[in-house]
Amino acid sequence: MPITYRLAKDFNVAANIIRAQVAPNQVGKLVVELSGDIDQLDEAMEWMRDQGIGVSLVSREILIDEEVCVHCGLCTGVCPTESLKLDSQTFQLTFNRSRCIVCEQCIPTCPVQAISTNL
Amino acid sequence: MRTIAEINDKICRGQAVVWTVEEAKAQAAERGVTAAAKLVDVVTTGTFEPMEASGAIINLGHTDPPIKIRECRLDGVLAYAGFGAVDLYLGASQVAEAGRLGDSLEGDELRDRGGGHVIADLIAGKSVQLRASGYVTDCYPRAALETTISRERINQFYLFNPRNLYQNFIVGVNGGDRPLFTYLGPLQPRLGNAVYSNLGELSPLLNDPDLQVIGIGSRIFLGGGVGYIAWEGTQHFPLQKRLPNRTPVGPAATVALIGDAKQMEPRWVRGCYFKSYGPSLMLGVGVPLPILNEAVLAYCAVRDADLVAPVVDFSIPRRVRPTFGLVSYAQLKSGQIAIEGRRVRTAPLASQYLSREVAIALKQKILAGGFELTVPVAPLPADRKFIPQDSWGAEIDVS
Repeated sequence: MPITYRLAKDFNVAANIIRAQVAPNQVGKLVVELSGDIDQLDEAMEWMRDQGIGVSLVSREILIDEEVCVHCGLCTGVCPTESLKLDSQTFQLTFNRSRCIVCEQCIPTCPVQAISTNL
Repeated sequence: MRTIAEINDKICRGQAVVWTVEEAKAQAAERGVTAAAKLVDVVTTGTFEPMEASGAIINLGHTDPPIKIRECRLDGVLAYAGFGAVDLYLGASQVAEAGRLGDSLEGDELRDRGGGHVIADLIAGKSVQLRASGYVTDCYPRAALETTISRERINQFYLFNPRNLYQNFIVGVNGGDRPLFTYLGPLQPRLGNAVYSNLGELSPLLNDPDLQVIGIGSRIFLGGGVGYIAWEGTQHFPLQKRLPNRTPVGPAATVALIGDAKQMEPRWVRGCYFKSYGPSLMLGVGVPLPILNEAVLAYCAVRDADLVAPVVDFSIPRRVRPTFGLVSYAQLKSGQIAIEGRRVRTAPLASQYLSREVAIALKQKILAGGFELTVPVAPLPADRKFIPQDSWGAEIDVS
């Protein structure tokens, strides 16, 4: 079934495919970012569930690999919400997930590629 | 007060008093410099920061039939081969790229990698792909070599870094209207952020501003192993303007370092990559300062409030860039500085956490008796000029 086509045509919902795992005769998995009118988004999700598609909501999150991080602090200067900070005593990187707006500016800034997203 | 020989004698007997530079500053503040200097034999300093003017000398050992290497890539990174037949120099900031030698690695695998990563991989005990073409001669008939190497399967593998441990540096900002990708990381437009790369009061060479107790031959902690100060570093500029406390107001002294990479530990040697600038090597370096007299400890007692760096605008891509004046390291470490009345967030580039760990690791090595200090065999020069490279055109003889 051409799901993203129906989302666009019937509900005016734009589907940005972030990750896809689709193979013949197997259950596939799509991670999509949907944008559109909030009522139409609800209708679109209801339609998908009616088609037997399991729909679950995930939010994008920043992940920090503590094995890789060297606590240089370069990411703290580009973090607009100050979610990423250096502890004033230990100088280790701290991450306040609840303040993070997932702008992702820290990801390319990290010189040792310790920062990624969960999607 | 005491000599290096006396300090080594105490180290061997397990009686040396060793403080990290942070402990030394605290003790000097609490007891006064005179009293503290009587107690302590050695102060350990450490840093962990990107040092792109680094690289590794490798001798592969001879193949049969032998090869004189003309061009060589290690995991897609070009290594310099223009000296001994199987001698290589792998520079930390050399970019990985698919080469003419038919590398099997594709573009994506090479992305964001360079010489620093290959050096770090070898130190971590990993195997590295080697592809070389030879310059065919009667002595060296072989034309090509394809193999994998690891640090156990090569003769020499040592870092020889032409410029490390910059004594002070600059603070980068971007006064333009587009993002800049620099060796200090991304600088956001309209003074969006400021990045400083020196550790201020923790920085090894700022604690011995006139390089009085270190010199050529000084034994140091390099990447977890033993290294030495080999020479003055490139761009060594001891004549930089200095404050009354003798610390420089901008980039000044540098040192060239050498050390056996086979002894190094992956924790202290890490490949890194700056977006749209290139690869580099993050390195942990520790320098022990023998407290020969009270004046040496007085220099070690310097605080961030008394150390300054110039704020430099990277939006003007010229050799001499405009500056916004000097700021203190105390201001930089507070998380924000004021530039032309505006609050600008600051971020470091050197890891203060791992720098502290380097100083602690070096202290422990000395306390365990496994690390004696050396008397420098020659001082580092105190009078080097900073010569710009200007194009003068071809010299024409008009006579």
